[in-house]
Amino acid sequence: MASLEPTQNKTWDLSLYELQRKPQEIITDSTEIAVSPRSLHSELMCPICLDMLKKTMTTKECLHRFCSDCIVTALRSGNKECPTCRKKLVSKRSLRADPNFDLLISKIYPSREEYEASQEKIMAKFNPTQSQKALVNSINEGIKLQSQNRPQRFRTNKGGGGGGAAANNNGGAIAGNANRAVNTHDTASNDSNSNTNGNDRESRDAAGATGAAAPAAPAAAATTTPVSTSSSSSNNTTTNTTTTQVATTAGTSGASTSSNRMQVDDASNPPSVRSTPSPVPSNSSSTKPKRAMSVMTSERSEESESDSQMDCRTEGDSNIDTEGEGNGELGINDEIELVFKPHPTEMSADNQLIRALKDNCIRYIKTTANATVDHLSKYLAIRLTLDLGADLPEACRLLNFCIYVAPQPQQLVILNGNQTLHQVNDKFWKVNKPMEMYYSWKKT
Amino acid sequence: MAQNISPEQSGAGGSSKHNDDSLPIKDNHAVSKRLHKELMNLMMANEKGISAFPDGENIFKWVGTIAGPINTVYSSQTYRLSLDFPNSYPYAAPVVKFLTPCFHPNVDLQGAICLDILKDKWSALYDVRTILLSIQSLLGEPNNESPLNAQAAMMWNNQNEYKKYLDAFYEKHKDT
Repeated sequence: MASLEPTQNKTWDLSLYELQRKPQEIITDSTEIAVSPRSLHSELMCPICLDMLKKTMTTKECLHRFCSDCIVTALRSGNKECPTCRKKLVSKRSLRADPNFDLLISKIYPSREEYEASQEKIMAKFNPTQSQKALVNSINEGIKLQSQNRPQRFRTNKGGGGGGAAANNNGGAIAGNANRAVNTHDTASNDSNSNTNGNDRESRDAAGATGAAAPAAPAAAATTTPVSTSSSSSNNTTTNTTTTQVATTAGTSGASTSSNRMQVDDASNPPSVRSTPSPVPSNSSSTKPKRAMSVMTSERSEESESDSQMDCRTEGDSNIDTEGEGNGELGINDEIELVFKPHPTEMSADNQLIRALKDNCIRYIKTTANATVDHLSKYLAIRLTLDLGADLPEACRLLNFCIYVAPQPQQLVILNGNQTLHQVNDKFWKVNKPMEMYYSWKKT
Repeated sequence: MAQNISPEQSGAGGSSKHNDDSLPIKDNHAVSKRLHKELMNLMMANEKGISAFPDGENIFKWVGTIAGPINTVYSSQTYRLSLDFPNSYPYAAPVVKFLTPCFHPNVDLQGAICLDILKDKWSALYDVRTILLSIQSLLGEPNNESPLNAQAAMMWNNQNEYKKYLDAFYEKHKDT
């Protein structure tokens, strides 16, 4: 077939990125590549219908992908140019079918019908006329659920908790956070679902947190390759994902392969599999409209090199959902994770408040990076008041906190209230793990 | 494959203003699905300076707001806009109008906007977010070659005068 390239003069200048980029190495060992659900979704999505690509067509010159239906309609209805980059597309013959890409999608989502059905369900529930009300409800419910489940969390892990909505100034983010809190409790209450086998759990955590991971075993190399290819062909999506999780033994590797595969294929998930690329939580019996949003917002990508997160994970099942991306992804999703501890000297063990809080004095918080230190302090006050309820010593009624960050151990810097967490993180906390902050109670 | 439109179908979905009736129209479901997805993405992205939400029950009619871009004469203003999506969206652009009076070279006094991406440079990849961002940047960088508001275009070069006029303009339109 003769290719019908436009006769206009072509320039083959490479961009700086193209000049600098190194080829992706082919993965032959059991290394797993974690791709966050969001970036995976953006890879497989048609930019016209915003749905998963269907009968993929690729533009011959600029290599942009669309559903066959979408691009044909677009070319018939509008300008004869690539909707993505405006490169001239003379006709349908400037496109080619891309069956390999379809194959890749069907590998990752074997049951398209189920995927679509689940999408429809979300859409049906995501009714814009209700969503403002739902927003408020979700916050309330999140808080309620959180306090209900608190005793359970004490039992299962000392590092659990967090995930609540930090005080912040925008509605969407609040909803997201509150929903995440709801999620946390689903996990906790669904503990019966979770497998207690150590290896399996770990791999599930890893895959659950990262959403999709390329199969690990060499036998599955065929599947691995297309995934990495797709990432490399489309600019640097792999750079925001984590390239870790080398399975330790052959046995584990096998186990994680199969469980990861299940993660990837969201539609046919067993109930215990969580945080799949699909925005639909598999244990959707209790799905509410807001749930859909929450899962979509929470992009899970694990920084497994972060020790503190590893600790959290091994210490309890119920906090799977509260951990997630490290600060490294800040630029991408503008969320930030915090470990909130009492000030080592000013809030020592004999402090009234610490006595009342007992082992619940360390808080794990994930919130938007544009929340300020003041927001955090207010959040903490409300949060602790809710937690303690009647246990709260009378003298502490008006909780007012000083917030510190510790760029070095033993060196606490008091923070100005109007700084955003993003600024604090940039200034004091450059390492790629949850930022450690300290609070102390001001009597004034 | 691309559907041909049955006449009864093209009549459905009352709110739509057809930019071009000859366009192939996907079924309404596909359009509302995409709009729902946009809404969901928009709510999650919480972009600074812009927002949009369907106006009441009808997903084909939205109201958006944009903050005047900083470091421009418009910086202290907030504008409300209406977005009307045709049945052929996203293959045809929505009709976007200022609801808040806007004194600008490329906006007429009825709120109509002259912006190429809303006309012949439309691409199916544009969405509510990119439209609002484009209009936001148009505020600070008008195209004075093809003005809808000739007075504004003439005044633009003297930014101090322009700002003064603008303040008076908004003082006058405060109640509307």
